Order: sequence, then structure tokens, then C-alpha cells
Amino acid sequence: MLKVEELSKNYGDFVAVDRISFSAGKGVVFGLLGPNGAGKSTAINCISGLLQPTSGRAFVAGHDTVAESKAARQKLGVVPQELALYEDLSAVENLRYWGKAYGLRGDALDARVAEVLEHIGLADRAKDLPKEFSGGMKRRLNFGCGVVHKPPVILLDEPTVGVDPQSRARLFDLVEAERDAGACILYTTHYMEEAERLCDSLAIIDHGKIIAQGTVDELRAKLGARDVLQLSGSFPPDATRHAMEALSNNGNHDLEFVSQEQQSITLTLSNASQHLPAIFEAVSVAGGNVSETSLRSPNLETLFLLLTGKELRE
Amino acid sequence: MSFALSSFKKDIARWRQDLMSTLIWVAIPLLIGGLITALMSGQGAKPHGTMLLLDQDESLFSELIAGAYSAGELGELISVEKTNIEDGTARINAGEASGFLIIPKGFGDAFLNSEPVTLTLKTNPAQTILPGIITEVTEILLDAGFYLHQLFGSEIQAIKNFGEHPDDALVAAMAVTLQNKFEAVAPQLFPPIIELSIVEPPESDPGTPLAVLFLPGIIVMAVMFSANGLANDYWREREQGTLRRLVYAPGQLSGFVIGKALAAAATISFIGGLTLALGLLYHGISWVKLPSSLLWIAVSGIALFAWLSLLQMSFSSRRSANVISSMLLFPLLMAGGSFFPLAVLPGWIAVVGRAAPNGFVTDRLTAEITAVGTWVIPPSSWSIVIIAAAAGLLACALRLRSGFASA
Repeated sequence: MLKVEELSKNYGDFVAVDRISFSAGKGVVFGLLGPNGAGKSTAINCISGLLQPTSGRAFVAGHDTVAESKAARQKLGVVPQELALYEDLSAVENLRYWGKAYGLRGDALDARVAEVLEHIGLADRAKDLPKEFSGGMKRRLNFGCGVVHKPPVILLDEPTVGVDPQSRARLFDLVEAERDAGACILYTTHYMEEAERLCDSLAIIDHGKIIAQGTVDELRAKLGARDVLQLSGSFPPDATRHAMEALSNNGNHDLEFVSQEQQSITLTLSNASQHLPAIFEAVSVAGGNVSETSLRSPNLETLFLLLTGKELRE
Repeated sequence: MSFALSSFKKDIARWRQDLMSTLIWVAIPLLIGGLITALMSGQGAKPHGTMLLLDQDESLFSELIAGAYSAGELGELISVEKTNIEDGTARINAGEASGFLIIPKGFGDAFLNSEPVTLTLKTNPAQTILPGIITEVTEILLDAGFYLHQLFGSEIQAIKNFGEHPDDALVAAMAVTLQNKFEAVAPQLFPPIIELSIVEPPESDPGTPLAVLFLPGIIVMAVMFSANGLANDYWREREQGTLRRLVYAPGQLSGFVIGKALAAAATISFIGGLTLALGLLYHGISWVKLPSSLLWIAVSGIALFAWLSLLQMSFSSRRSANVISSMLLFPLLMAGGSFFPLAVLPGWIAVVGRAAPNGFVTDRLTAEITAVGTWVIPPSSWSIVIIAAAAGLLACALRLRSGFASA
């Protein structure tokens, strides 16, 4: 249903999206996971037709988003990151207007609007103005306006930013309901737990590039069962690396020295907590000292850390 | 076209909630127009004052003087009110009258006998015009009395001595004497120095009253205010994200632009039509002017709205769009005949004004309102505004497509 091939978007010399490729089928939630500024929204804007890609192509329900933009847009529903509502029109008027924008008319429009109002839990507030709604209710109406024409492909651009936990859970239910109804959903987020809960498969994106892709289980498997250990303090560059390699050769065979920054080093190893005394000893012998220790069990966030050397939320 | 209709209904529903803006767009031109019309129509209130009179003589001559103040057009300016010394003094001191004239006892006899006599006139220092008029009139009356006495002093004395039933022969002799004296002094009093040849001017069109010439400019001012205010709605839609959502939808930009223009035309027609109707009513202009003038307002309103929208969408922020368009609006209104009719503007300013978009609209609307017939705006002018409206709307759609909507 959704296919992206070598898609790039440049702004002068700056490459916002760098030859990304992925595909997702019917009834699938595909996640684009990455920190702010990674290129997720730019990718969505290229697929939705808001931006012209510099190179590459995207297909929505088999239609090229550039060559057959009208047909592609008809099959696409977009729920933008920012609210896009008429605050001075009622909820039902908003839904009816956007339904008409996609060609719905008459009984079909009436039935679909009623269905969406029920679906997003605003049937009893249909005639109220959005300016009287809570943030969560506005988010749900924003979602409803994006799916009112029952699109087979839905793009959701960080739909839970600034949403309270209760409304977030309600939005998850809406996404899952659309998936269960057979929609193909592209979901961008920088929340690892959202991606883990909702996405059947995902791509991790940073600096416009996809750095890892697969199902959640496949990506977890890349870490194996190793923990991620991050030490802060002072670390003589070469001596610390040599000390860790020596430690690895002396019994800790799966210890991997991942990266070293100015005042931190990152390691992965199995059962890290059992090896902490030996690691501290090795750092001390190398002339360094540890002021803070962070130990995390394997998940998507630690995978991102391993792949990029930085936190997902940085 | 169906989506254009949906967009039209959507914008009407939204703008209907913003009644305050609509009121302001109507109220400001009406206020300015009302003030200008009041000044130009010459129907403002005339000054009117009270002259207090204390006639202690109550003779024929004192009655004549008192009556002179309330005669003819002077009577429209001054009301004469008889009073006593206490009331008169108190009221003139309190500033409640323009003047207080005291005619003393014995004034008539002194006049007949050429004896000195003093009239007392107190004026109100807080007023300028009416006390001045009263003083001037009093001096003229006294001068007239002096010359009357010089010419006919003996006859006046004789008349006074006639008693209540004068002899017919005496009256006839007096009439002959007066006639002879008039004939003798007439060449001195009324010398035929200049021979006048009175030529009747050719009959001409009395012309359109100046106040009526202000009406089209005031209507176009209301149209410009509303068109500029409504043009800002593109920025409002962009800021609330609905323009961006529109871009996601398949091929609906043109319908959106047309719908908004139709909603603007309806709003502008309502505002311009209301101003026009009030103007026709006030100036007593025939209602047959209404349909043609209103159609012109609606069509030209779309053109002005479209180009003001494009202007606003040319800026990088809503604030700069607001500031620049407002700064441009007032010189345009000034040159385009909204503050002064194009007919009274100096030549080159009028030429520039007629070339301005709003001046072009005002000029044709003036012709439509002031002409004897109706539908006098030439087809070429209708063509120009229709083409301008279409080109403006196309340019707006292109501007939306070229990035304004998706930014």
C-alpha cells in the first residue's frame, strides 16, 4: 500500500532526507522512529505531496505521489503534527467540510461523519466548537478530519506530542482500530514506547538516513541480550580503550567498546551488573575515574544509542 | 464547483461569528461620511441668540428700533425679549443673552428735537458673532435716524403735532412736501453713476451637490476596509493549519479560492449595499440606482479582495502583511476619492486617483449614482473589473500552490 524508493529531499547543501526506502502493506503500522530534526516530518511531507522530493519516488496505493498526485492524495489521509482545525466551526462542520474536500457527498458523507464522531468519542459534542474542547479532544478531532474519507493509507506525524496520557491511550486505540480495519499506517514518533506498542515494523532514522529497519523483534535481536553500560567521568582516550579490550580478552568475551565521547564511554555486554567491579578497576588502572554509571537493558532506545551514540530524545 | 460552494458556506459561517469586524467596517466609513456630509450639505444649525430689550420710552421711535432687530433674516438670528433692568442685567452678566439694549425715557422727544441722547448696549464677551451683529445693526439704525431727522425733521415734528384726527388738507400738503423733498435729494442719495445692463445667465445644470459626490468614495472606503480585513483570512487559515490540510486534499485549491472569493463578495455586498442604501436614503436618490450600483460593488469587491489577498500573501509574516497593507490602504483611499471626491481633487492627483484600483471603482460608481439614467457604467469598465477579479483569483491560487499554503 505504501512504498518509498530512494526518497531524498535537499535544501541547498543540507540533506534533510537521504535516500530512504521502505514499504508497508495493508493492516500494518509502520513506524519512523527518530529524534527531533531527524527528517521524519520532511519524509511525511514528501509522501503527502506537501513537498516535492529532490529525488526518489513514493507510491500510495500504487499511485506515484508526483506523477499521479491527485489519485495518490485521494487514497491518503494525513494527521498533521500541529492541529489543523477550524476553531470557529463545530466538530461536525469540520468533519463535513474535510469530507467534502475528498469528494464525499450526501448520505455517504452523513453516515461517515456520524461514524467518525462515534469513533473519536465526540458524538455528544458534535455541535460544539473546538475552541471549547480540551487538548485531547482537539487531537481526536484532528485525527477524525484526517481519516473522514476512509483512506487506505494514513500518515500520522507525531500525533501524541503534547497530549496527556489518557488522550494518548485513546489515540492509540484509534490507530489500532484503523489498522484492524485494514489501513496501512505510517506513524512517526520519537517515543520508543509508542513505536514498541503500535508498530509492526519500523525504521530508525537519524540525520535523514535510515540506520536500521525491521520488525521490533528483529531490531531487538540486533542487540542480542546485551545490556548497555554508559559511564561518565574522565577517561584517557587510548588507555581506556586498551583497558576495555584487555578486559574483553580476559574472559568478558562479549564486551564491546561502542564509543567514547569527551567525558563518557559506552559499552555493551551481557549481565553487565556482574562485571561492574572489574570494569571500574580497569578504568582506574588506565588512569580514569567513574563519576556516574547508567545501565540499561536492551530496547529500541538502547539500539538507537548504540547506532548513533546519542539519546533518542536529544 | 461543489467544493467552492462548501468553502463559501464555511467562510460565511466563520465570518458571521465575527460581527464586531463587520460593524467596524461599516461604522468607520459611515462616521467619516456622516461628518463630511454634515459639513458639505450646508444644513448645519445657524447661530441664534437672544437680545434683551428694556424700552423705558415706549414711543413710536423706540418701538421702531425694537422692531428692526426681529425683522427679515435678522429675525432668524436674533430673538428680541423685553425685560426689566434687574432681570436684564442679571442675565447679560450670567452670559444668558447676546446683548442687552436699554432705550431711555425721553428717547423719542430727544430724537425729534435733535437733542443728545444715550442708548446703552451691553454685549456678551463670551460670544463673537451675534454681539457683533447686534452692535452693527444698532449703529446702522442710529445713523439712519440721524439722516432721517436731517431730511424730514420739520415734517416729522409736524406729523407729531397733527394729533389723532389731522385735517385732510394738512395731510395732503404734507404728502406734497415730502414728495418734493424726496425728488430734490434723490440725485444725491441715489446717483445713477453706473448704468447696469442686466444679462440673464444661460440656464445650466445645477450640478450634483458636493455631499452626494462624497457618497461613492465612502462606499468604496467600506469596501476597501472589508476587502482588506477579509484578505487577512488567508493568514488566519495558514496559522491554524487548515491551508496545509487543504494541500493534502486532491485538487481542491481552486474551489477553495473561489469559495472564499464568493463569501467575500457576499460580505462586501452586504457592507457596501448597506452604506449605499443609507446614502440613497439620506440624499433622496432614486432606488432604481440600487441594483446596478450594488452589482458594481460586488464585482469590483471581488477584484479588490483578490488583489489585496495576493498582497497580504506576499509577505513573510502576518504582522508585516497587516502593517504594510494598512499603510498602503490610506494613501489609496486618499488618492482614490474616498476622503475628497475625485471631481474636486487637483488635476494630476485626480488622474493618479482614477488610475488607482479603488479610484477606478469610485469613478464609475460616481457616474452610476449621479447620472440621470441607470446602467451607465460602460461595458469596457465591467470587462476590466471582471478580468482583474479573475486574474487576481488565479494569482491567489498560484500563490497558495507555490508554497504559501504548505509553509
